[in-house]
Amino acid sequence: MSRAPLFALALALALAAPAFAAPADDPITPAPTAKDWQALAQRPDWSGSWFPVISDQFAQVTSNPVPWKPEVQKQIDHWDAEEKAGRPRGLLLDCLPHGVPSFYLITHNSIEILQTPGRVTILGESDGNRLVRIWTDGRKAPADPDPSFHGYNIGTWQADTLAVSTTAILPQTWLAVSEAVGIAIGEGAHVEQKFHLIGPDTLAVDLTITAPAVLTKPWETRRLFTRKRARSYEIVEGVCRQGDFEETTDQWGNPAWSPLAQSADGNVLAPPAK
Amino acid sequence: MLKKILSASALAATLALSAPSLAHHSFAMFDQGKVVNLRGTVSGYRWVNPHVSLFVEVQDGPAKHGVWAVELTSPGNLTRLGWSRQSLKVGDKVDVEVNPLRDGALGGGFRKATILSTGQVLQARLVEIEKPG
Repeated sequence: MSRAPLFALALALALAAPAFAAPADDPITPAPTAKDWQALAQRPDWSGSWFPVISDQFAQVTSNPVPWKPEVQKQIDHWDAEEKAGRPRGLLLDCLPHGVPSFYLITHNSIEILQTPGRVTILGESDGNRLVRIWTDGRKAPADPDPSFHGYNIGTWQADTLAVSTTAILPQTWLAVSEAVGIAIGEGAHVEQKFHLIGPDTLAVDLTITAPAVLTKPWETRRLFTRKRARSYEIVEGVCRQGDFEETTDQWGNPAWSPLAQSADGNVLAPPAK
Repeated sequence: MLKKILSASALAATLALSAPSLAHHSFAMFDQGKVVNLRGTVSGYRWVNPHVSLFVEVQDGPAKHGVWAVELTSPGNLTRLGWSRQSLKVGDKVDVEVNPLRDGALGGGFRKATILSTGQVLQARLVEIEKPG
């Protein structure tokens, strides 16, 4: 039997099969109108750079401990003891994102908040200039969004407060109290945040963290950021792995990188004696 | 022989790809309860994320002699504290206070530096820039 008819049939089927293209349900976001841009002027002014109140991050955890489940508390106690003993577990050594909620809980670097029609965008500096995109255009979260480190963020304005609901957080994302103590947030987590000014230059982020895999009840905690307008506070490039390398030249004399000596827990080592 | 080389290359590549990057880390490996004073010469100053590093060659004094690796916060945060990538240069004579590595290796977390030729003191306390304004 000749194979030609079969080949022709297969080719016809292949050509007739629907190509991967735009999804069937793919709403169009309309271009913003002049009114949309004008509406932004009514929002609270969150311009400038926002520096975390790092000392308060620790105070919040001490005064309002995380309601870990007993079996999780044992793990936390272990990592806490390891940190105190000088053997910190490097939650961020792999340079993966802090993710939500640790993006707010433990950052040591400035953030910037951009307001444009239909969205609020938070730019981070630490470990790779992450961004959190908060949709304020009235949409609902998709039924089954791809899980991500920063989740799917829906924002609604309640007077001068931006209320954000974050879902679809990757279960491996840290729920961290420091750079060395935390636990994966687990399945089914969601995080509510309320962003609002509590002073002319003080932004509060009130978080309600629901993480049924690791918490006995939702953990309500606050993080503070202070506004800076000096240019030195503008966020800069924050490439997490840059410190893993040193400048060199390749065999053709081009500028290049080569790995740097580091210890197992991530601090640089002095170059070997020559 | 070629096969062995290829296998070795594959193993090296696998190790390289599977090795964690060792960048952003807690400072708990430094003993916050101890301070070591280093008097020496800057042999390196790397203005890179996530941690700026300073190398100080110590040849005199009570601290262990050799090249110490000193870690600081990020370039962004140091800029806010008044530093720049020009703040220190190779050859500067300095006094540097560090919290030493707990394992006794020649390294520490930065506390303070004094440039001996000018008397300029460099600090890196983030708590000082937490207030608004």
